[in-house]
Amino acid sequence: MCVGLSARVVNVKDGTAVIDASGAKREVSAGILEDLEPGDFVMVHAGVAIAKITQDEAEEADELMEDLL
Amino acid sequence: MTESVKKARDIITGYSGRPLRIMEVCGTHTHEIFRIGLRKLLPESIDLISGPGCPVCVTAVGFIDEACWLALEKGCLICTFGDLIRVPGTEMSLAGARAKGADIRPVYSPLDAVEIAKENPDRQVVFLAVGFETTTPSACLAAEQAKAAGLKNFSLLTANKTMPNAYNALVGSADAFLYPGHVNAITGNSACIKLCEEKGVSGVVAGFTASELITAMAVTVRLLEKGEPFFRNCYTRVVKDEGNKSAMELMERVMEPCDSEWRGLGLIPMSGMKLRAEYADYDARLKYAMPEIKGRPNPACRCGDVLQGKCKPSDCKVFGKGCTPLHPVGACMVSDEGACAAYYQYSEIE
Ligand code: SF4
Repeated sequence: MCVGLSARVVNVKDGTAVIDASGAKREVSAGILEDLEPGDFVMVHAGVAIAKITQDEAEEADELMEDLL
Repeated sequence: MTESVKKARDIITGYSGRPLRIMEVCGTHTHEIFRIGLRKLLPESIDLISGPGCPVCVTAVGFIDEACWLALEKGCLICTFGDLIRVPGTEMSLAGARAKGADIRPVYSPLDAVEIAKENPDRQVVFLAVGFETTTPSACLAAEQAKAAGLKNFSLLTANKTMPNAYNALVGSADAFLYPGHVNAITGNSACIKLCEEKGVSGVVAGFTASELITAMAVTVRLLEKGEPFFRNCYTRVVKDEGNKSAMELMERVMEPCDSEWRGLGLIPMSGMKLRAEYADYDARLKYAMPEIKGRPNPACRCGDVLQGKCKPSDCKVFGKGCTPLHPVGACMVSDEGACAAYYQYSEIE
C-alpha cells in the first residue's frame, strides 16, 4: 500500500493534477504541493502528490559518492 | 551501471570491519532490497534487519476486529487499502467478513472512498485509515473534502501512526537506520537529526531504486567505519530538510496525536493520530459508539519480534509451513512490504 509512484505532471487545475506515470494517466490531488506546473516530476502516494522530484537519480548518486571519497 | 554505483557496490562488497547491523525501517525498502538482490551483495559481517515500517504489519489485531464489527454489526461499506483485507483479526480477516456478506472494497486512495460515499448516499461508508506520515495526509484530505461537501455517510476508522516515537522505541536495535524516504519527504529530517545529536543514533534517508539503495548502503557502511554518529540525507532529490509544510499543516488541522498500539511494539505513547474534535462526526468510533474491542494475536506468530529485528522471519516455527502468503497467520506475511512475505517470496524454501 505504501509504494510511491514517480510521475510527470501533465496538467494542474483546482487542486487536482493529471499525472503521467510511464504512459498511464490519472488524476491525483495537488492539495499539499504548491506551485505545481506541467512538466514537474512528483512522487505520488495514495492518490496524492507528496513531493516534487528535483534532481536526476544518477546525478544524486554522483554527488553522494564524491562526498564519500 | 554508472561509475558511482559501481564504486558504491565495491564499498559494500569490500567491507571487512566489525559486524554491523543495519535496520531498514520501511517495508518498501525491505521488499526492494530483496528484489534487486542487495542482500546477496552483503558480506557476512553486515546483517540487514527489517523494522516496523510496514503500516499493514504494525496494525493491531484489534483494529481488524473493529473493522469487522463495523462491517457486520453496523452494515457499513468498508473501503480499505487492499493489503488489509487478508490480515488476520482475532476471529476473522476482512476477507472472512466478506464471506459472511460484508461489503469490503479495496481502494487506491482515501479520496476514492469519498467518491464512493458520494455515489452511494444510501450506504454508510467507512475508510480504514492506516499508514504513516506518507499516507496520513491523504486521509486528512478525505476528511476535509467530506466535511466541505457536508457528507453524512462517510467516516474514518483511524490507526494512523507517526514514526519518530517508534525510532525512540527502537534505539539500540541496530548500528544504523535506513530511514523511510517518503516519510521524511513529509516530516523533514529534524527528528532524525535530533536522534543523532542527542542519542548518537546513526542513519541515512534512502530512496527506493536500485542505485539509490546501493549508494545509501555504501554511505552507511563508510560512515559506520569512521565510528562517529551520523545523519545523511541520501535522497535529496525528493526529501528536503524542512519536509512538506502544507502536508504537516493539513495533518495538524485535521488530526491530533494520541497513544497507539503497534503490533509487536505494544502501546507507544503519542505515536498515533486521531481526528480532532471538529471532525468528530467523521470518526467512526464515535459515530457508531463503538465498544472497546481488544484483539488477541495468534500466539504462534512472532511478528512482534520480527518487527523489532529480534528474529528473522525464518526463525518463526510456522514460517513457510502453517504461514504462507496464501494462508497468512500474521500481518507480516500479508503485505508485499511485510518482512515475512518478502523473505518467503525471495528466499529459497526447502
Ligand atoms: S511467518 Fe507468519 S506467523 Fe511467523 S512471524 Fe511471520 S507472519 Fe507471523
